[in-house]
Amino acid sequence: MKRLIALAALLVAAAALFVAGRTSGAEPLTLTIAGSRYTVTVLIDPPRTGAIVVDTRVTSGDADGMALSAVMPDMGHAMPELAAAEREPGRFVAEGELFTMSGVWDVSIRLTGPAGEETLTAKALISG
Amino acid sequence: MIRALLLAAVLVVMFAAPAAAHNVTAGADLRIAQTIAGAEVTLVIKGTSRVPGPLRIGVVAFERAAGLPVSLEVRSLTGGRTVKGVARAAADPEYAELRVEETGPHQLTLRAGDEVAVVPFRVLVDRGSAGDFLIYGGLFAAGLLLVGGLLTGAVSRRGPAMMLAAGAAAGVTVAAMVVVFEPMLPPGPPDGAAPTAQTQPAGGRPFAQARMETAPAGPAPGQEFTLRVDLTDGSTGRPVDDLVSHHEALAHVVVTSEDGRYFRHVHPLRTAAGRLEVRLRADRPGRYLVYAELEREDSGGQLLTGEFAVDGDPAGAATADLPAAVPELRPAVPVAGRPATIELPADGAVRPWLGMAGHLIVRSQDGSFLGHVHEMGTNGTRLRFTFSFPRPGRYLAWAQHATDGRIVTMPFTVDVAEPAG
Repeated sequence: MKRLIALAALLVAAAALFVAGRTSGAEPLTLTIAGSRYTVTVLIDPPRTGAIVVDTRVTSGDADGMALSAVMPDMGHAMPELAAAEREPGRFVAEGELFTMSGVWDVSIRLTGPAGEETLTAKALISG
Repeated sequence: MIRALLLAAVLVVMFAAPAAAHNVTAGADLRIAQTIAGAEVTLVIKGTSRVPGPLRIGVVAFERAAGLPVSLEVRSLTGGRTVKGVARAAADPEYAELRVEETGPHQLTLRAGDEVAVVPFRVLVDRGSAGDFLIYGGLFAAGLLLVGGLLTGAVSRRGPAMMLAAGAAAGVTVAAMVVVFEPMLPPGPPDGAAPTAQTQPAGGRPFAQARMETAPAGPAPGQEFTLRVDLTDGSTGRPVDDLVSHHEALAHVVVTSEDGRYFRHVHPLRTAAGRLEVRLRADRPGRYLVYAELEREDSGGQLLTGEFAVDGDPAGAATADLPAAVPELRPAVPVAGRPATIELPADGAVRPWLGMAGHLIVRSQDGSFLGHVHEMGTNGTRLRFTFSFPRPGRYLAWAQHATDGRIVTMPFTVDVAEPAG
């Protein structure tokens, strides 16, 4: 009898997890963008308004400089560029404010290097 | 209760529609008209129901396009993988199959002649619904428990048998509830969809501004030139790179000479973020007016205008004017501000083009107004348009439809009277 109840509880929990897993956003936010000169993986932790840290790895291409900026296309908000510091070869960290309100933002990563300049853009869902 | 259900239904309708950007899903093709290599074609990207899976791409020929080879290159903007193929334009084209490895943002590079277009799009694949899982899970559990209940009952263990039967009933109930209520629940987003905010912002995106120029500047009559439209977001100053397919094109560009003898309705190529380009040729010197009709994501359509000049002596062999059509007008003299109907016979069998049987472009004589009207309500041998001309005066009009291998353009003028009193 107890086993049956336990089994039923397990089934319900699995169903709930399955449903919840489909609706809740994953944190932190990881974006991978493949451009024609550089490919980057951007980690925004947490994807929130206010001061944040953006940790970017250049997984393809030789970048020697990076700056981040963001616009919120639906509202027409634009934020100043944040310069990222190269902590180790291919890893850039930027700290500051990039998002002022919750919603979908376009994050632009401007990379410079011997191959030239390229701006990569991806969408990020930011919470309040 | 009924109100709550209605509210739920309204919310589902509001949030179920994915962003109208360049999403490619199974059953929802992305169609984009392109004026490329002197031809008028419509690019069709058919969705895939799985990844890795085949993405089918075809090029439908409308004018000077039959047999035109178009090279295709699809690149994933997350994985970086590139696949190539070739599509040959035809009225009923064969589709090239390109294998995509993942969902999410991709870009398609088209090459024909010496022209290149880059079309961004997203590959979306529907996830199995959570409801299906509960329906089939509930029924499966019910089946197992029912068999267990019967067996237990058969060996005369009433208590456990009742428990199992009750479990079976619960399973059936869950499945039935989900069958009834699932259509009211918002579906989860498909794999690869762009993130969307919980609360939709009201009002649409900022205005786009266009800078229009030709390369070379001031082209000579008869010389091929590129008309370039650079789009800038009025609030952020960034290039506008969020155009959706609006009546099957990123932009409908109408170019007319000031006197209306020259008319082109073309579909420029996206060559870079916020940049649209189309190749043209004009026979006579003078001032040319440009109208670009486009739509940003989450916004309505908008019309941007510009102009350019063609300088120099008229080209030796100026093309003859198109023969003027004589439409049937109702009323015979349209009145400003009231609906007027314009009907004229089609030239050949009508093929749907840009999602419609026919298109009517009207321009006020001074060029300050442009309308784009869609054909409504005839059976394919005639074109019928209804339009309320906003002000009295003379309008230049061009009715267009596609037929086998060409796009027919029929020019005429309409004189609109002032309302009486």
